[in-house]
Amino acid sequence: MPEPADPAPTGSVPSDSGPGDSGPGDSGPGDSGPGETGTPGAAEPARRRVFLLGGLGAGVAGAVAGAAGGYAYRATRAASAGQQARADAEAGGLPPVPFHGRYQAGILPPAARQTAVISFNATADGRGELIGLFRTITDRARFLTAGGTPPPAGIGGAPSDSGTLGPAVVPDGLTVTLGVGSTLFDERYGLSARLPARLTPMRTFPDDNLDPAQTGGDLVLQLSAGHPDTVMHALRDIARHTRGGMQAIWRMDGFTSPARPAGTVPRNQLGFMDGISNPDPASQAQMDELVWIQPGTAGEPAWTAGGSYFVVRLIRMLVEFWDRVDIAEQENMIGRRRATGYPLDSNAIHATPDFARDPSGAVIPLTSHIRLANPRTAKTGDSRILRRGYNYDRGIDDVGNLDIGLLFTCFQQDLKRQFEAVQTRLIGEPLVDYISPFGGGYFLALPGVRDGSDYLGRSLLAGTG
Amino acid sequence: MGANVRPAALHPRLAPKLAASAAALAVAGGAVACGGGTPASSAVVSVSNGGCGAGWKLAGPGWHTFQVYNAAAEGAEVDLVDPANGAIYAEVEALGPGTTSPMRLNVGSGSYEFRCLFEDADAITGPTVTVGGHARGTPAIVPVTRNDLFGPARTYHDWIAAGLGTLAGQTATLAADVRGGNLAKAKADWLTAHLTYERLGAAYDAFGDFDGQINGTAAGLDGGVSSPDWTGFYRLEYGLWHGQRARQLTGVANTLVSDVRGLRDAWPAMEIDLLDMGLRTHEILENALQFQLSGQDDYGSGTTLATVGANIDGTRELLTVLHPLLAPRYAGLAAVTTWLDRLASLLDKAKRPNGAWVPVSGLSTSLREQIDAATSQALEELSPIAVITEPRRT
Repeated sequence: MPEPADPAPTGSVPSDSGPGDSGPGDSGPGDSGPGETGTPGAAEPARRRVFLLGGLGAGVAGAVAGAAGGYAYRATRAASAGQQARADAEAGGLPPVPFHGRYQAGILPPAARQTAVISFNATADGRGELIGLFRTITDRARFLTAGGTPPPAGIGGAPSDSGTLGPAVVPDGLTVTLGVGSTLFDERYGLSARLPARLTPMRTFPDDNLDPAQTGGDLVLQLSAGHPDTVMHALRDIARHTRGGMQAIWRMDGFTSPARPAGTVPRNQLGFMDGISNPDPASQAQMDELVWIQPGTAGEPAWTAGGSYFVVRLIRMLVEFWDRVDIAEQENMIGRRRATGYPLDSNAIHATPDFARDPSGAVIPLTSHIRLANPRTAKTGDSRILRRGYNYDRGIDDVGNLDIGLLFTCFQQDLKRQFEAVQTRLIGEPLVDYISPFGGGYFLALPGVRDGSDYLGRSLLAGTG
Repeated sequence: MGANVRPAALHPRLAPKLAASAAALAVAGGAVACGGGTPASSAVVSVSNGGCGAGWKLAGPGWHTFQVYNAAAEGAEVDLVDPANGAIYAEVEALGPGTTSPMRLNVGSGSYEFRCLFEDADAITGPTVTVGGHARGTPAIVPVTRNDLFGPARTYHDWIAAGLGTLAGQTATLAADVRGGNLAKAKADWLTAHLTYERLGAAYDAFGDFDGQINGTAAGLDGGVSSPDWTGFYRLEYGLWHGQRARQLTGVANTLVSDVRGLRDAWPAMEIDLLDMGLRTHEILENALQFQLSGQDDYGSGTTLATVGANIDGTRELLTVLHPLLAPRYAGLAAVTTWLDRLASLLDKAKRPNGAWVPVSGLSTSLREQIDAATSQALEELSPIAVITEPRRT
């Protein structure tokens, strides 16, 4: 098992625009946080509280800095027709992402503007139908990611395409990522001997509030693209071609926002930049150490090589409560400035926090999210994950609060060494009062599709591994 | 994105709207590989009362998009057909005067001609173009005509008449149970009669207003389940399974009997829309998925799975009468049977050991998923039938 090349992962920096954040954590909310506008660079936080009590104290002290602050920027007039036209012209403008390769193409790119994660249970009857299902998903993904004009049905049937992208399907940067859950390896398909070594049902952590109806699944699909219509079109297309083979059980749509200010990192719905620090997807060495299951890994069936463990966590953010919390407390919970994303001990967004110089947590609290998620020590370097966070919005809850939060996803080579280690460090962090993980699952994102005759899951379903 | 790209050969009379759409198509065809891998061609084919695609050409096999332009003063249907048997490769329906619509297909080896159908006039055909070689293209389907559908419609009409006779007897028995205060027997007889009705496949107003009277739900009624205007099987189900007394339900039961008799007596004079038979081959199960498998139309008896079973029977009857037309035209017919069979056997599996039905909420997650999946796949396989059996002029 790979040692981290860079022992202190330290935030090294790839400024991938996306999400990922520093460590790992799933806890959610990004970890990074940003500072408040007024205090960039303040080297020393004005005050510090012990946050283990979390929410209670926060609520009382919360000062509403945000609400009163007003917005410095306000549009003086609506967008012009020309501006709108330029924006529309970009629709579908993202180039195709090559579908074939050693790895699935949707794993390494920065978080897309729009994504959907859908979990399915397989209803295919036997191994043969299951292979048919995987082949069909592959065929549709191959077409949808490349784009093209769907064949006309003539007088032989209803139109072959929903038409929601117009007469020609635009690629719009679509990626289709398929994963399998541990339940697929039960007796139905004779796959029990091929269960990946680290694949289990998602563990329930002490701060979780899991809804079984929104947890787990035999299969998971993640569809990501530049726009919501592209993602929804792909989902409708794939579902239409696989109706008998699998049945959707839960789904979460997610989005990322533009980085504001430009050149920084997109924010989550707590207002903090999410995913400032992440392993560098451009570094094959880091990916081989942290993301891809390597051939010959002890205990892993051979078919898993080139795959990656895929964790999905549906995390509600209690933003009304959060918005009633004083900014200093927010920043201490995260460990970064809300406005700028700077670590509390630095004046640069991508600076590596120097926890060694702050052993008591005087500057960045020991319980802050970024510190627990990624302590940046040699020992914890190999627990880093490739984190991709998306915001979700699905209406309102029973008490009239917004039902919004984080669609957290991450990829890693070893669920236990990475995600679970990180998540275990985060147990009881002060932030848990403001977030509530309620669903998701553990999956293994399959190895890539090599060429036009290959299909997703071939090594699992047809191989001997 | 390409509004400035103009196809070279646009007809001068084309309206701006059309130019824009033609441009978009040209872009689509040119910029993106089509299914067949061959670059698409796009050409304007003009039709009028005086000629149907005179002078049109085919460069060769592969994907082609024709911009079919109606130069006549009236609407037209334009088909691209095989001259040998009239089989249709592609069609443009309801092409308004002065408008253009794209017709796209993968041209294979064979013969092609345009056939134009203007209102109240015989079909006119244009010149034949033959593509040699052995290229496979979009297959042509021999159109189904009204004449083809009369026989099946008659058979289906008779089948429904027989079913309504049975139903009249069963609802009379049911009403007698209620009047006699034997509500336990009424529950059993309610199910028998309701399934008979559901077997008739009364999707989407097949029986006009009778369906609302006989099998309407409380949805859409002011006051919902307490609406005095609610009648029929579901109203009776609600009462029987919600502790209402025989005296309360006698009027409801009697009304059901008279409504069923009314339908039975009216039926001989009611016609089956020839288009409807094909539509109903998937609409019956569309309704089953939407209202029965969701549990929405369960007013207490927990028998929506039985209803789905009856709906399968009704669908199969339609497939039987349409079989002679479908067999030579629809390669997916075997898959229809496969999935309906699978669904039927899953429904059997869902029954309790004593044969009693289980409400959908009582199904295991796994079985419910399998039932929903099989229904959805059956619907996909059924959906082409309505298009294939749509009566067409030739």
